[in-house]
Amino acid sequence: MALKRSGTKYDIFTKIALVLVVAIVFFLIILPLLNILIYSTQPTGSAIITNAFSDEVIRQILWNTMKLGLTVAFLGTLLGFIMAYTQARVEFRGKKVLHIINLVPIISPPFAFATAVIVLFGRSGIITRGVFDWRPTLYGYTGLVLVLTLSFFPIAYMNLLGMLRSLDPALDEAGSSLGASKWRIFRTVTLPLLIPGFAGSFLLLFIESIADLANPLIIGGNYTVLASRAYMAINGDYDIPMAAGYSFLLLLPALLVFLVQRYWAQRKSVVSVTGKPSGRPTVVTSPIARFFLLSVTFLLTSLIVMVYATVVLGAFVKIIGVENSFTLEHFRYLLGGFANAAVKATTFLALIATPLAGIFGMLIAWLVIRKVRRGSEALDFLGMLGIAVPGTVIGIGYAITYNDPVKIGGVTVFPQVAGGAAIFGGAIAIVMVYIIRSSPAGQRSGISLLQQIDPSIEEASASLGASGGRTFRLVTLPLISGAFLSGLMYAFAHSMTTLSPIIFLVTPDISILTQKILAEADQGRYGNVFALCCMLIVLIMVIGGLINLLVRRFQVSTDRPLVTGR
Amino acid sequence: MAKTTGKLELRALTKEFGNGSEKVVAVKELSLTINPGEFVTLLGPSGCGKTTALRMVAGFETPTSGQVLLDGEDLSALTPDRRPMGMVFQSYALFPHMTVFDNVAYGLKVKKFSTAQIKKEVGEILDSMNLAHLTNRAPNQLSGGQQQRVALARAMVVRPKVLLFDEPLSNLDAKLRAQMRIEIRSIQRRLGITSIFVTHDQDEAMSLSDRIVVMRNAVVEQSGTPEEIYRRPSSVFVADFIGRSNFLSVNEVKKGGSGKVSVEASGVRLKVNAHPKALKSAHPHLLVRPESVSVKKSSASSKSRKANEGIVKNVVFYGNHVEYSIDTPNQTIAAVVSDPVYDEIVPVGAVAKIDFDESRAWLLPSDSAVIASEE
Ligand SMILES: Nc1ncnc2c1ncn2[C@@H]1O[C@H](COP(=O)(O)OP(=O)(O)OP(=O)(O)O)[C@@H](O)[C@H]1O
Ligand SMILES: [Mg+2]
Repeated sequence: MALKRSGTKYDIFTKIALVLVVAIVFFLIILPLLNILIYSTQPTGSAIITNAFSDEVIRQILWNTMKLGLTVAFLGTLLGFIMAYTQARVEFRGKKVLHIINLVPIISPPFAFATAVIVLFGRSGIITRGVFDWRPTLYGYTGLVLVLTLSFFPIAYMNLLGMLRSLDPALDEAGSSLGASKWRIFRTVTLPLLIPGFAGSFLLLFIESIADLANPLIIGGNYTVLASRAYMAINGDYDIPMAAGYSFLLLLPALLVFLVQRYWAQRKSVVSVTGKPSGRPTVVTSPIARFFLLSVTFLLTSLIVMVYATVVLGAFVKIIGVENSFTLEHFRYLLGGFANAAVKATTFLALIATPLAGIFGMLIAWLVIRKVRRGSEALDFLGMLGIAVPGTVIGIGYAITYNDPVKIGGVTVFPQVAGGAAIFGGAIAIVMVYIIRSSPAGQRSGISLLQQIDPSIEEASASLGASGGRTFRLVTLPLISGAFLSGLMYAFAHSMTTLSPIIFLVTPDISILTQKILAEADQGRYGNVFALCCMLIVLIMVIGGLINLLVRRFQVSTDRPLVTGR
Repeated sequence: MAKTTGKLELRALTKEFGNGSEKVVAVKELSLTINPGEFVTLLGPSGCGKTTALRMVAGFETPTSGQVLLDGEDLSALTPDRRPMGMVFQSYALFPHMTVFDNVAYGLKVKKFSTAQIKKEVGEILDSMNLAHLTNRAPNQLSGGQQQRVALARAMVVRPKVLLFDEPLSNLDAKLRAQMRIEIRSIQRRLGITSIFVTHDQDEAMSLSDRIVVMRNAVVEQSGTPEEIYRRPSSVFVADFIGRSNFLSVNEVKKGGSGKVSVEASGVRLKVNAHPKALKSAHPHLLVRPESVSVKKSSASSKSRKANEGIVKNVVFYGNHVEYSIDTPNQTIAAVVSDPVYDEIVPVGAVAKIDFDESRAWLLPSDSAVIASEE
């Protein structure tokens, strides 16, 4: 890659940074994973793995997980594509609003969808029973597919929209000037060029949906998947090796698919554009196509709007759909003691973790793109482990590893950070999870930004005598601060809404909002669930906005990163 | 090989973008008749509406008013895929997921040619363009020039009646550009396809075209053969845009004999050809190209010099020619002397006598806007 300096030795700063990054990654994710592997060799754990295909129950769980993953990945990618294509190629009013609505599910709290969908479409749903007098069973496969598809399709949407927008419009025009109809161009030019995007989205959605724990717990019913089974092994069977066994079964396909996905992402370069793209994207004019695209879009968007309306309304009425009288009783109950501590702890810990995750992600991005010559792929992969590994697996790994001090040959190398007896009531483990789960977002945006910035800008700093650390601080960091900011925002929202690893780490002293939501949803107190979701959303927006303001003040204006010349 | 089909008529083509206060008139009442097999270049500065005009012909933009006719048939109702025109894009727009063969075969497949026929046609055109060895390559494994040739082959294999080019050479380096120019022109001549070529490179326009259409601010400024455009520009803008120019201010404009005009410029009386409007213009300018200025050493001192003598400000020696810039009492004159004799170059600071070749000078109506912006 021409983006790297070659021939020079690593400077001190790079060496220190490398060692630090590797050490952090080791304690934040590798060690917990190693412990999962170790525990899964114990009898109850290895029994799960060796009997994965012979034991009917385990086989059923495996199949459930895969079936769910494949269905959601397929439907989510399809929906994401339809929405992206509509956004990119159909002209209609309200496009921008639609775009924002499509993105909202990405930062929505877990359970918001599951509970709202139950209230709307469940056995006594406002719509199913209220409007159609129909009492479907949502608990199980159907409900999970519905809820997960709604929650995850925005990933495919963003992915494919980006690709659609980067296609040179002249490609369509070339086809057209060669006599091809719009439909033919769609089939022979647009679709084939998006194949890497479809594959990438499909795999990402697959990983997300097999890793999800929150929804299977609430709406899964008897439909057990690996994540919920592993959770039960800890919270029902109290059998750690068994949980490790199930975690292993979940970890394997997740990592495998993650690797395949990365391989695909790298082949994406087929879409090479020479020269400056010209012309304007072809607009869909066929009435049939427009009708189809706009109908699907309208349906899906109204579904999302309905879900959020339910969440907000549900928070302010007694029992939505049953007793629709205005009340503040949910908030009174929550803020009267039930959730106060959780609000404080969640916000406080997420605020600590956010900048750390941001810096950590950027540091890895910088090392991967600019500094490390051999093994940059591996380093990038290590940094991404935090989202490649399902949250449930991370949580169980942490519980195993950090409920006692980590010792090597009798010497403590890492203190006990999880569990009630740990320092700060186990808060450190939660911050660690927040960091490792959110830094990959910063890492990704940092990498894509650094790839666009001419390395000679940094070389200029070095040639003027600045050390590696100084260059990073004075030149690189200001240049990538835009990506840093978006990374931070995402990290914060992600920390605030994450559940699966946290469930295993909350202690009597430290309670977290998402876990409170789970408890209330479990009890069927949906009013409280909705109120908690509202509080979470407001918190994210307010604090996210503040972070935005704060960072802006210190940010060098880099609206246009310098990419002049060659 | 005069072809009989491919006559293109643009009738008062107009395109407006946006509306209200943000309205942009990109092309205004463009009328043009292009004969079968003719190669016409649209030339003009950035933003003057060349691309928009071309895209209206191709059907990618719908004209606000006006028509495009091909062999007398109005194309307005036809979408781009129904128009018998090929287009070569600035970005080449090769389909990145298809091989060279599949790219070139695309249009034939659309036209439902048989597999055997497609193979034959594609093979022939790739052969004729020296691309045969690249048949199975992907576009991103080709050099810029090769990509360009594939794009050309793809547009031509379907035998369009009209070929449209939007700055197809601007991504190539200078040498390749010159070579591709010759190639494009020879293929176009051989097949006799009516062509419109958009560029803002005057060399390209001069060397390729049967006719050049110079555009400025959405309207046609002048249309003519390269020689007409160069020697008989209709405005200061055109003269200035094509090649280098000296604009001399003149006094005492009088009708001379044999259709010529007698003027006094830099203290010398010259008999020159004039644009019909020049005589009515309040302040006509005399266009003298630098290569029509001859430069000699003068014995006069810098104080006693006459109006046609000046002090040499700058000399650049290029081997086969010398470029001077000379300060006369009225203005600075650029001169190019080709094939200079050894030791006869006038050095910086010395006084030089300049002569204008009156047979190559051209009297122009004034065009205050351009002159003002030049200074
Ligand atoms: N889609 C559009 N919407 C609004 N204005 C446009 C659009 N396309 C072109 N214009 C405007 O119309 C004018 C002519 O544009 P056009 O692209 O035809 O110029 P051009 O002569 O091809 O310039 P260049 O040499 O830079 O390619 C410009 O002022 C441009 O800003
Ligand atoms: Mg243009």
